[in-house]
Amino acid sequence: MIVAERKPFDEIRNMVSNYKKVLTVGCGTCVAVCLAGGSKEVETLNAELNLAFKKDGIEFGAETLERQCDMEFLAELDNKVDQYDCLLSMACGAGIQFLAERFPNKPVLPAVNTSFIGVNLDVGWYEEKCRACGQCVLAMTGGVCPVTMCAKSLFNGPCGGTNKTSCEIHTDQPCAWFKIYERLSGQGRLAQIMTVSPPNDWSNQKPRKVIQPGYEERIKAMHS
Amino acid sequence: MTTDKCTNVTEKCADTKENCDNMVDISISKDVLVIGAGSFGLEAAGKIAAQGYSVSVIGVKTACARQSGCTSKMLETGKVNIMQDVAIDSLAGVTGDFRATLIKNAGNGAEYSEKVEKVFGAIVVAPQYSYSTLNKKYGLTLNDKVVSQSQFEAMIADPESQKKILNGVNGNGSTVAFLTGFAQEGDPTSTSRVLTSALAVQNMENCNAYIYAGNVKVGAKGLERLFTQGRHAGVVCFKPSQMPTIEQNLNDGVNTVKITIKDPVVRTDVELTPDYVVVEEAVVVGQQNLDIASTLRIDTDLYGFLPSNNVHRFPAKSNRDGIFVVNNSLDAANAALKLKELIGNGIKRVAANKAKVDEDRCVICLTCYRSCPHGAIFWQNGAAAISPAACQGCGICASECPMDAIQLGDFTDDSLRTSIKDAVVSAKDNQKDGQPLIVAFCCKNSALEACEAATKFGHEMPQGFRMVKVPCAGKVDVEFIMKAFVEGADGVMVAACHEGNCKAERGNIYAKWRVNEIQKRLEKMGLEKNRLIFTTIASNMAKEFAGKVNAFAAAIK
Ligand code: SF4
Ligand code: SF4
Ligand code: SF4
Ligand code: SF4
Repeated sequence: MIVAERKPFDEIRNMVSNYKKVLTVGCGTCVAVCLAGGSKEVETLNAELNLAFKKDGIEFGAETLERQCDMEFLAELDNKVDQYDCLLSMACGAGIQFLAERFPNKPVLPAVNTSFIGVNLDVGWYEEKCRACGQCVLAMTGGVCPVTMCAKSLFNGPCGGTNKTSCEIHTDQPCAWFKIYERLSGQGRLAQIMTVSPPNDWSNQKPRKVIQPGYEERIKAMHS
Repeated sequence: MTTDKCTNVTEKCADTKENCDNMVDISISKDVLVIGAGSFGLEAAGKIAAQGYSVSVIGVKTACARQSGCTSKMLETGKVNIMQDVAIDSLAGVTGDFRATLIKNAGNGAEYSEKVEKVFGAIVVAPQYSYSTLNKKYGLTLNDKVVSQSQFEAMIADPESQKKILNGVNGNGSTVAFLTGFAQEGDPTSTSRVLTSALAVQNMENCNAYIYAGNVKVGAKGLERLFTQGRHAGVVCFKPSQMPTIEQNLNDGVNTVKITIKDPVVRTDVELTPDYVVVEEAVVVGQQNLDIASTLRIDTDLYGFLPSNNVHRFPAKSNRDGIFVVNNSLDAANAALKLKELIGNGIKRVAANKAKVDEDRCVICLTCYRSCPHGAIFWQNGAAAISPAACQGCGICASECPMDAIQLGDFTDDSLRTSIKDAVVSAKDNQKDGQPLIVAFCCKNSALEACEAATKFGHEMPQGFRMVKVPCAGKVDVEFIMKAFVEGADGVMVAACHEGNCKAERGNIYAKWRVNEIQKRLEKMGLEKNRLIFTTIASNMAKEFAGKVNAFAAAIK
């Protein structure tokens, strides 16, 4: 799924402060699953905004669509957007752009930062797994993505920085190629690691993680 | 009480209890929307209102609609509500329960526009096409003597201009020549317009009408009669094999047109210098009609006219149940008739299990909604739903659904898998040495009948040939084709209706796409590409069917 995080409230507040009637549009799929932009988050954000703009008299409407990345669902807003002068989308970047395409005459603002393609580790806790590189090498790497997990996105590793199971960038960051080594040898196909894959041009990145506000405590308790 | 028959027997439902339990009553709104307030739209509205349904007509009234007088008569019934300057903005729902958003003052440059949502049981579209005069093709310049068909119709409808025609140049009537069917292929509507105008001219004192007709069509109800009527009144009709020689003289205040044709019998030139020349017009589809079609999700024909052609469909019906298209008086009558069958007293009994969505499996990907040719699918409560009233049971959606969430009552995936297996097993038992084992998926609307007739008439086909019946070629999943090969078929044939002839509009096209795709993959699987073929056939082509099977067998031997 696509994982997103809500933008800091101040940023959202600044974005909408020049409008009179704002429609907050949630998305009922990915961002709902990762607790960033579903119906509940729409209501919560609107409550916060209502409090913040009480004196300014800005009105906030709420709609949550099945998905914002399908025109048919966006069309459900056709009869509603006219009354608003701005749309605040809580979908991922793809959904926000599609919403803006559907209503090109309305300013469309993002209420979330789209983070990554990832998996659910626990309620409110997500980890990046794939960078959508378009040339999946998981068959060679024992099902561990080197593009996402290796800080240098090496298709052939490990590099000289591998440090007793960790990556040289940080001891908390496991070395992707160590994981690949472990997985392949566990399956008795370690020889595979010697196959050379043509390298790709990736910049240094490490997997990003998101823990939604309010879930830190729970995660600490459950996973320490 | 135990009985085989349903206790609730209706005319159509003299069926077993089991089947009857699969029927559901659906409520159908008795309100009807007519889009287009031209004469045919209003004619349809009048007929529908006369059956007791409430009709809302939207669109701009045309001149001929206004003077036809039907408007005031209809308004008196209180059943027809004409809303000027209202257009349809969007449409949701399905037959019996269409939810239309109507927009007032649409595109009028008006300061405000207002939207309302209304429910309709059925919709009638009466497209208002515009015309372009084909005078250039005749080398003519339009002026007060050379006019378009529409202009002439307006002239004979207007008392002032009518008087002018009646008086002619020197008070003793006019001669009017109509040019039609040389600049384009004629169609029944334009033929009818010419005949009506010519008859009107001929009926004016001292006036004479001449029709120069190229390629004209009289193949519509009432046209032949109109033609005879005109002839009896004295309308002269020439049908030269090529366009007449037309000389327009506009020099020094002169304004004449000389029309010359060669009489093929007496081999002399026949010349005419009429007082008025009326030129045919081409119908222009116009963006507005295309927009209506896309809003209503109905298909247009090759040229963009509504509706698309389909021989399996009753005239005036579109590809979506409950949406009718009216292009002439006959359509108006047909639409009213079918509409009554649809709406009845507001309750319709339909088979519940033509196609059904398993809500637990559905991921609401909208694939089915996007591929149903009959617009029978909508969504509610987070899952796709199929209207039993609108669904035609073609199975295209079921084949396209990525989750196998749709099953057809009469053709479940399981039953088809069994049919495929049985077909292969029984073919194996009968197969002669060296003859291939062929499974043919046959659409029940065409190939099935052709195949059955081929067997009945004793056309020889290989012993190892077996047929699997499908509701439409659109129900032939990739999975089923592969299954036939896996079970042991040497060749698989998918036999659909001819292009443009599919009862489900594009089931045959879907099938062809799938076959093309699998053909590409077959070689990688180690099978020759020619072991899978797609073919089209009509139900009366028994011999051809056998021929195709034999040719296929020979090719893959
Ligand atoms: S818009 Fe983005 S968040 Fe919403 S369903 Fe589509 S991909 Fe997921
Ligand atoms: S290699 Fe990694 S980034 Fe590329 S597609 Fe596979 S999982 Fe995604
Ligand atoms: S195609 Fe299947 S999964 Fe997709 S919406 Fe239709 S029923 Fe649901
Ligand atoms: S079976 Fe055919 S008509 Fe019925 S819902 Fe599916 S695609 Fe539409």
